[in-house]
Amino acid sequence: MKEVPVKIEHNKQWVVVKLGVGEDRLVIPAPVNKEILFKTVLDVAERKNVLIITAKTDAEATYKILSVDKVLSILKKMILASCNAYRLMAYFMSPAIKGGVMVKDAQWEKGSVVVVHTGIWFVSATKQICVPTNDVAAIELTKREVQGKPTDVVKIDHLENNEVASSLVLCPLSTLQVLYNFLKETTKSMDMKGTELDGVDQQVAMLIYSGMDSHAIENMLNIPHKQLEVIYDKILKLGLAEVTIIRREVQLTTKGVRYISDATKSQTN
Amino acid sequence: MGKILIVDDTLFMRTLLKNILFSGGHTIAGEAGDGEEAIAKYKELKPDLVTMDVVMPKMNGIEALKGIKALDPAARVVMCTAVGQEQMVKLAIKSGAKGYIVKPFQAPKVLEEVKNVLAS
Repeated sequence: MKEVPVKIEHNKQWVVVKLGVGEDRLVIPAPVNKEILFKTVLDVAERKNVLIITAKTDAEATYKILSVDKVLSILKKMILASCNAYRLMAYFMSPAIKGGVMVKDAQWEKGSVVVVHTGIWFVSATKQICVPTNDVAAIELTKREVQGKPTDVVKIDHLENNEVASSLVLCPLSTLQVLYNFLKETTKSMDMKGTELDGVDQQVAMLIYSGMDSHAIENMLNIPHKQLEVIYDKILKLGLAEVTIIRREVQLTTKGVRYISDATKSQTN
Repeated sequence: MGKILIVDDTLFMRTLLKNILFSGGHTIAGEAGDGEEAIAKYKELKPDLVTMDVVMPKMNGIEALKGIKALDPAARVVMCTAVGQEQMVKLAIKSGAKGYIVKPFQAPKVLEEVKNVLAS
């Protein structure tokens, strides 16, 4: 069994260990003392240089492993090849489209698509790309021109650095249909009817996306602050937005008015 | 900073673009609600740049782009497309568009694209 030095989170602290990497398992030595069989892994996620693995033997447990890209890349590849997930061999292009336009030099890669609890992984000999389920905006079974012929593909629209990107998956149609249904089911919690917001609500949501603040939205749509507050409440309740800043509007007290009056006088004298 | 003609059939989108472009220090030369009006306004106002919606009544954005390029081959036109219209973007670039922005807009992206096209 090979060993690689990593940091692992134990009792909310990072400890340095020599992680054992076997063909079918990871062996975490003291003070953690755990073995993780790849087939018990239910979820794999990555945040910066931290690999987050959720495995279930008797109970579900989550392990956080911190290491350099090279080590994490090997671990991801091994775990994703054998973990307990929906997996299919396919050609993929990720991202294929960014901001509505084909990505320059985007190419079909041979590999696999692995769907875990919190994301969709595209794995090839050189790449492991994860699209978190929460970032999936749409899934569509569509046609794309591949080598001059219209071909069935699954198109996954997702957010990447606040920009809509699309990834394409290519495999036999029957498998694509299964993948499409599976992904639809996995991302069901994000589905909406499309009738939850009326015209003005939708305009407010679009202006928020465009980066407008409350003041600009009120001016552009010519709506009072109270109406905007009601729309914000609706959007927040639907989970379409989150509060970032609560801004205050204040007015001067008598003391404040006196101070400013005096200051103005002294400037003009 | 440039003098910009905004072409879109919806008042909401024109207002949004106007706000974004104002915030970036640009001047709004004028607005048009369809492709025919866009060509007429281009002749009249001679803007530094045009933001052009693709799907519009009377004459669509691609036809209007061709009309403007026929008048002025050096015209700078930035197409406004919706997500999923990548084929339309290809066609627009082939027809002489200098850039594109994708709806829904994000202010920094709009300003970056406009800046790049004005510098070209």
